[in-house]
Amino acid sequence: MMLIKIAWRNIWRSKKRSAIIIASIIIGLWAGVFLIAFYNGMIEQRVRTAITQEISHIQIHHTEFNKDYDPKYTIQNSGAIYDSIKNIPDVKSLAARMIFMGMISSASGNSGIKLLGIYPDQEQSVTGLKDKLIQGNYFDSGRTNQMLIGERLIKKLKLNLGSKAILTFQDKEGNLASSAFKIKGVYKTSNSPYDEKYVFVRVHDLDLLAGLPGEIHEIAILLRSNNSLNAIQTSLQRKFPDVLIENWMQISPEIGLTVSVSDQMVFIYLGIILLALAFGIINTMMMSVLERTRELGMLMALGMNKLRVFIMIILETLFLVLVGSPAGIVLGLITTKITHNTGIQFKAYKEVYANFGYNDIIYPELAVKQFITIVFLVLITAIISGIFPARRALKLKPVESIRK
Amino acid sequence: MNHTVIDAHNLVKVYDEKTIPLYALNGVHLHIESGEFIAIKGPSGSGKTTLLNMIGGLDVPSTGEVIIDGTNINNLKGNALIDFRLNNIGFVFQSYNLIPVLTARENIEFIMLLQKRSSKEINTRVNELLKQIGLEDKADKRPGELSGGQQQRVAVARALAPKPKFILADEPTANLDSVSAGNLLDMMLQLNIQEKMTFVFSTHDQRVIERARRVITLEDGKIVQDSAPKKITHPMYEN
Ligand SMILES: Nc1ncnc2c1ncn2[C@@H]1O[C@H](COP(=O)(O)OP(=O)(O)O)[C@@H](O)[C@H]1O
Ligand SMILES: [Mg+2]
Repeated sequence: MMLIKIAWRNIWRSKKRSAIIIASIIIGLWAGVFLIAFYNGMIEQRVRTAITQEISHIQIHHTEFNKDYDPKYTIQNSGAIYDSIKNIPDVKSLAARMIFMGMISSASGNSGIKLLGIYPDQEQSVTGLKDKLIQGNYFDSGRTNQMLIGERLIKKLKLNLGSKAILTFQDKEGNLASSAFKIKGVYKTSNSPYDEKYVFVRVHDLDLLAGLPGEIHEIAILLRSNNSLNAIQTSLQRKFPDVLIENWMQISPEIGLTVSVSDQMVFIYLGIILLALAFGIINTMMMSVLERTRELGMLMALGMNKLRVFIMIILETLFLVLVGSPAGIVLGLITTKITHNTGIQFKAYKEVYANFGYNDIIYPELAVKQFITIVFLVLITAIISGIFPARRALKLKPVESIRK
Repeated sequence: MNHTVIDAHNLVKVYDEKTIPLYALNGVHLHIESGEFIAIKGPSGSGKTTLLNMIGGLDVPSTGEVIIDGTNINNLKGNALIDFRLNNIGFVFQSYNLIPVLTARENIEFIMLLQKRSSKEINTRVNELLKQIGLEDKADKRPGELSGGQQQRVAVARALAPKPKFILADEPTANLDSVSAGNLLDMMLQLNIQEKMTFVFSTHDQRVIERARRVITLEDGKIVQDSAPKKITHPMYEN
């Protein structure tokens, strides 16, 4: 249609001005797309780290255990449950644990801890504990009472590899049990608070001490993919109605929340960028309308009706945006793709990130749904930005415009 | 054969009604038949533009009425008035006539496209007009690449293309040198004869006035003289 032709040619009349606004659209969307992808990567990283290194996908407990970690609430029938889960194809690995809230004491002080009695091979397959060691070695079949503690904790207690510390916790009856353990290795994760809290020993060094031989408090399950999470959780709950079966969002609500908030954050980031662009577009188009007062007056005098004038200005705005946005979005996608493959490392902020449980390497990524949302919002912005200048054009009176 | 296309009764246009009233038009009666070729002359500020704007439905009179081919256009509002202009009246302005981003050909097509005529009809008509105005070789040039005289020829062709009831031209030669002005008027006169198109144009250029068949003289918003239709004096049309 002719209006399309006129509108398209009109945006190239003031080349410099159009170039500036198109460039800002390109840069704005480039930054916007990448920022969203980066933010996604950060969230994804946080979730993946939490799942694969700390909480796993699904955890099973006695229904009363989580209230105040009373050691008497062990999982009933745990052997049968364990074996049954092991045979589910989508389950990658699983680990049984004993858990005690306790204390570690050294000559220079003491600290509250979460004491985990583990099966070394199982734990390695679920949380990769062995890979987190920065000093010393993983559990071996040698002497009893070996322990692994976090870097933060060993520094806090001014202990060294090989030295001993006293672990104290409540046994099944509520009496205090304690024993000396030797530091076999020191681990470090990207989550500093975790490193200060978790102490690992072998389950067989604990169960007799706690008066709970062969019992366990927790089964942690790592799945092959998060996609089968709900199906497996539901089927397990049906099979074992007497135990508490929780997924990672239930275990760590703040991580679940981070994920759901991230969608809203994407809108907020994008909203701010689009608002800034909208102001630029409105300004540019207003100038263009005012400069063409005589010409628009002439068009209306000739018989171009209000709807056509309105459409022409909206089309001009839309074209301005459509010229810039694909380039901006594509640049954003390319940047995302490249950084997704290489990862972005924040060496300088490694410690800061670690304090919040974030890994220092981030892999930006963009969901298809988000991409569609971006494209959609960009179009909406273009149309809304066009309405103001288009209305301005409609207010022109042909006679007065032509006389000018 | 001839019929009334423009009938204006007692047109008055007052500006600054609150303070000192300024009568841009002060009781103008005008009767124009189809096929006429009329010049409206008068000094600057005498009300020529105001009168043409009233007749063209671009402005509303303070009192009085304008009837175009039986329609009282003072009763038309908004888009109805715009559509009436589109379908009945051709306009040629003094300057900034053409759409700068369209070629000469596209400018001539413009009105017919707004009227949603078929592309076949438009093509035939535009080719015919390009030949008549002698700009076939410039058809694909934009206004910026044409001379002032050529631009006005294109503007006349655009106004003429959809065969409106009449064409209003407000000082179409004001920005042209006298040779171009003469050529433009000769072309308009030729079209007046060939297409039986009614032309009403304002001017204060004596050589342009000479070519008109009827000359209306305005002074201070009033018609002071209305010459009887006369024979065309241009040698080309003497027979
Ligand atoms: N919008 C306006 N406001 C006030 N006065 C106007 C306006 N338009 C025209 N006039 C006045 O009306 C008179 C007639 O103007 P115009 O029709 O333009 O004359 P011409 O075209 O013959 O030069 C002039 O005195 C002019 O100053
Ligand atoms: Mg004038």
